[in-house]
Amino acid sequence: MSITIHVPGALRACCAGAAELELSAASVRATLEQIERRYPELHRSICDETGAVRRHVNLFVNTSHIRDREGLDTALAPGDVVTILPAVSGG
Amino acid sequence: MPGRVILCIGTKKGLFVAEASNARRSFALRGPYGPGVAVYAALIDTRGTPRLYASSCNAFFGMKILRSTDLGKSFKETKSAPSFPKEDGRALANIWSLQVGTGKKDLWCGVEPASLFRSGDGGDSWEMVAGLSNHEHARKWQPGNGGLCLHTILRDGNRMHIGISTGGHYLSEDGGVSFTASNKGVGAGFAPDPYPEFGQCVHKIAGHKDAPGRLYMQNHGGWAEWDGPGGPRPDIGVLRSDDHGRTWRSIAKGLPSDFGFPIVVHPHDADTVYVMPHEGQTRTCPGGAPAVWRSEDGGGSWKRLARGLPKKQSFFTVQRDAMDIDELKSPALYFGTTTGQLWMGRESGEEWDCLFDSLPPIHCVKVAAV
Repeated sequence: MSITIHVPGALRACCAGAAELELSAASVRATLEQIERRYPELHRSICDETGAVRRHVNLFVNTSHIRDREGLDTALAPGDVVTILPAVSGG
Repeated sequence: MPGRVILCIGTKKGLFVAEASNARRSFALRGPYGPGVAVYAALIDTRGTPRLYASSCNAFFGMKILRSTDLGKSFKETKSAPSFPKEDGRALANIWSLQVGTGKKDLWCGVEPASLFRSGDGGDSWEMVAGLSNHEHARKWQPGNGGLCLHTILRDGNRMHIGISTGGHYLSEDGGVSFTASNKGVGAGFAPDPYPEFGQCVHKIAGHKDAPGRLYMQNHGGWAEWDGPGGPRPDIGVLRSDDHGRTWRSIAKGLPSDFGFPIVVHPHDADTVYVMPHEGQTRTCPGGAPAVWRSEDGGGSWKRLARGLPKKQSFFTVQRDAMDIDELKSPALYFGTTTGQLWMGRESGEEWDCLFDSLPPIHCVKVAAV
């Protein structure tokens, strides 16, 4: 099933400048596994070496934060958009 | 004779590079590189064509290492940064130290949580050093206020000295394969046992290439008034070793405070050492009047160096890696402050000038003549 990954500007260098990636995955976890295989630098920017999503990175499925769904086990449907967004934080 | 002086200034908002002729009359500033991202470690590798390295502590997307081969006119990320093996369970939180190794492209890297990594290709790939990172003490080390950081890597032939806050001093005598806690005489103020085997909050260690057995340590001082278990621990903050770090003794007498972060040795005289005393409670300049203190007899006596520095109302902190000294014939000392000032002390710290007064908070300062 085809889904779209929206990549923020700060991370596009990790995937040859692409703003969007088309992948086939049934869950957010499977999406990250595919990203790890195909774009390891992008994966390192989203997840730390334990596999946890970095504290200041948010993942949305369409308009829902994955923490409000099933986390990494959130199921995906054809046409879904997974958006990678840096959190609103800083100082 | 080197023609230029290069300063790497790691700040909360990226890396700045300043360059001057070796007269050091004025410095041109460029940057920030890795803009908006904190830099806690920098290295100017002067072996062959100079290379500049800086850690880039990206709170969003993780750790990066920046590398420049044109004296800091441009930087690119190395192909990878240190990372723990997936099954290890630890995740890299910061990079605190970068140091050259033996081979031309060998690098060592100290990180948080306290662990040691090694690269053989100029930072493009990294391997965790198990002898330190998986040391039997490693899971017992505790984070200090700055985190559980491996901040000092000193090499002396096959010997290697490691400083960890809070873990203490570790010594390797086999080129960085195995390590032993070596803290005899290094006090701890925050434990009932004033002299534990390990777990001291070492802030920085410095050595001298011509006196390899001699080491100086800025330890976590400020415990003279402690009245709890174990009793007061005066003068544990500034120490010296003359036996490759096997034993340590206090050289803090004569200082206004034994608390501080950096410690620096004169490049041409192993007896001349510099500290920046801070008040233990506020971790700022005593009385709001900053001064570097210099000993020219290996810590036997100290002299206050403050000509040109503010005389009052200056309550900044100088962090552990934010002081360095160049190697010119009459060396200049440099320190950066948490209030974003970069100071240069000509003639070994006798006369101070503010080179830049409004940088972001400064975490590290490294200098080299190239």
